[in-house]
Amino acid sequence: MTHFEMELEKLKDVIKKIGNLAVSQVGESVKALLFEPIEGKEVKKTEIKIDKLDVKIDEICQSIFALQQPVASDLRFIMASLQISNEIERIGDLAVSVIKRTKSIKEKHDLIAKFEIGDFAKEVELITTKTNECLSTLDEKTISEILTLNIAIKSKGDAIIEHIIDEMKSHSKVVVSGTNLVIVLKHLERISDHSSNIAEYVYFMVNAKIIKHEKLEDLNINKLE
Amino acid sequence: MENTNTISVNPFAKTSGKGKDIKETAVVGITQIAVLLIIAILVVILGIIIFQGRDKFSWEFISSFPTDGMTKGGIFPALIGTFILVIVMSIAAVPFGTITAIYLTEYAKENSVFAAAVRFSIRTLAVVPSIIFGLFGLGFFIQFVGSGMDNAFNGGELRWGQPNILWASLTMALLTLPVIIVSVEEALKTIPRELREASLALGATKWQTIKKVVFPGSISGIMTGTILAVSRGAGEVAPILFTGAAYYLATLPGSLSDQFMNLGYHVYIMSTQSSDVEKTMPIQFATTLVLLILTLSLNLVAVVIRSRIRRKAK
Amino acid sequence: MRDIKIQVNDLSLYYGEKKALNEISMQIPANKVTALIGPSGCGKSTFLRCINRMNDLIPSVKITGEMLVEGVDIYDKNVDVVNIRKKIGMVFQKSNPFPKSIYENVAYGPRINGLKDKSQLDEIVETSLRQAAIWEEFKDRLDDSALGLSGGQQQRLCIARTLAVSPDIILMDEPASALDPISTSKIEELVHQLKEQYTIIIVTHNMQQAARTSDHTAFFYMGELIEMGKTNAIFTKPEKKQTEDYITGRFG
Repeated sequence: MTHFEMELEKLKDVIKKIGNLAVSQVGESVKALLFEPIEGKEVKKTEIKIDKLDVKIDEICQSIFALQQPVASDLRFIMASLQISNEIERIGDLAVSVIKRTKSIKEKHDLIAKFEIGDFAKEVELITTKTNECLSTLDEKTISEILTLNIAIKSKGDAIIEHIIDEMKSHSKVVVSGTNLVIVLKHLERISDHSSNIAEYVYFMVNAKIIKHEKLEDLNINKLE
Repeated sequence: MENTNTISVNPFAKTSGKGKDIKETAVVGITQIAVLLIIAILVVILGIIIFQGRDKFSWEFISSFPTDGMTKGGIFPALIGTFILVIVMSIAAVPFGTITAIYLTEYAKENSVFAAAVRFSIRTLAVVPSIIFGLFGLGFFIQFVGSGMDNAFNGGELRWGQPNILWASLTMALLTLPVIIVSVEEALKTIPRELREASLALGATKWQTIKKVVFPGSISGIMTGTILAVSRGAGEVAPILFTGAAYYLATLPGSLSDQFMNLGYHVYIMSTQSSDVEKTMPIQFATTLVLLILTLSLNLVAVVIRSRIRRKAK
Repeated sequence: MRDIKIQVNDLSLYYGEKKALNEISMQIPANKVTALIGPSGCGKSTFLRCINRMNDLIPSVKITGEMLVEGVDIYDKNVDVVNIRKKIGMVFQKSNPFPKSIYENVAYGPRINGLKDKSQLDEIVETSLRQAAIWEEFKDRLDDSALGLSGGQQQRLCIARTLAVSPDIILMDEPASALDPISTSKIEELVHQLKEQYTIIIVTHNMQQAARTSDHTAFFYMGELIEMGKTNAIFTKPEKKQTEDYITGRFG
């Protein structure tokens, strides 16, 4: 392997690491939401690790740009890595916000059961796992699944939020918990969005096409195996 | 298909008038005539020599002694004498000339007065008339060195203080020294500076560099120089007139202190001191023919080697 | 603490009256690749040739200051320049193999040092050619003339030839400037491998090459050392504006 190729492998490793950490953070946030509050210390440690890796990715990419003059697929890889790292860091941030906020939701188990939030949260977990996979496999089928899943999550989330708002209109007692729950759901939607963004950057890396602001229907993504 | 526009006026047509044409052809014509003239002269000279000497020219001629007051027989001793002369001359001149050339190319500093003096001497030596070398040979080698040697080693008995093949060869060596030096220098200069740098950068001393990189590259130059020197030495007569050539010897020279016969000198003798002009004229021409063949072929070989050096330098 | 292989103190070089290098001071770390960059005529090649005293060959050159290699000033009167060149090898811009066989080219250095034993020479030739990554290519034609090789092969042969005398430091004066891109990248990769054993100083007018191959970079301009630092820093956040202007192509 040449010196340059070793630098690229190093970058791939770091991205794998940060991706795994983010998935674990999201897992913890779903656990915190659906079950009991968790140890804050581990979460804090992971958050710090994620931030450090984000900075490291920035530094590696800057170094490769300056010293190796990457072109073609290498160039796209570096560009995408910078963006993806950013998105992953946001996901980590949002997961931590979710964990913090669930502490303030009283009687959350009743609300969760009433509005079928359990399924919703699991789907958010799923999309992040798939996205992390996609970073390694780079296959188009997974990308299209992620994009589709994101749209489903968003509409489901919006529907649940509408129900909660209706409930708050009729029962003033649940307003505080309800509001916090809505914010948590919004966070989870954002996590899904960021995952979808990551998938778009992977698509760019592979196909050299920027699909950031395109509508899913307009895209001709290969859905077949 | 598009129509290409035809140009109504030909921009490449001849515009200059007849005057320029005539000048062009005239120049070419004059050079051609000059060349033909030179070739014609050469053909005539060769023609006369070949025509006049063809009867006598044979293997027997080359391999037998002259007889009957040199009106019959061959030129064998002259041939051998010339060979020995040329060999001794080379032994003296080639190493000396090579070392001088190596000094001038490798060791001499840019503004060295000594090197400038050496170069000046070589140039002067190259244009000194050959008879002067003969006088020098007589005065220095024979009367000074030779007599000195006789006084020191032979108790005054005359052996070295007289004309012989050694002094003649050394005199001839002086004559041909410039040719050798120039040829070797030329070959040394074709060795690019980068090769010397490469050798030095590997930790070689200057002498090691010369021995292993420069000298091997100069061998073709040494060969060219030697051949040119030999071809000149075989033909020149003036330097050996008083230093060792004899017009008739019954035997071949046995040692360096003997005199010798020589092709060029033989022609001179034939044409000026012949007892029977009619009989000796053909011999004279045949000898000339032998000498010419010798020198021309040597020069040809030198030219070929030199052109290969030049091609390598590109 | 990193090792300093060469310490240069206020080195100046004059061609007669003209000052070509002005009080250069720098430290060259051991077992790293240091690149010297700068526009044409800035003195980087001149400086490089000071390290193995090749400038001694030019009669009008005068040098002041110190160049300490492992603590010893190589310009000291007691130092034998021939020994310096055995420790500090050089690869030139235009490859200059001797008109001899491949084997003889590589064996030249050891032979100069008095080595005669054939089996030892064979071993050195093989090791050197392996280090230069051309053993496989050449092992069956060691007796072929070096002049029949391509430019890139000749240059790697010259590198092998330099390695054969086991130097500590290898100087490279624009080693790939006369080569095609593939040969160039082979040589760059070679430089990466060699730095484990040797200290390498490379002059290049190709900034991207300096960026790709070196650990430290020194920027020369008009005979002066403007800036020197880790290559990563020089190419991402140079301290001096002159350096930045040169690297971004604003001048030179």
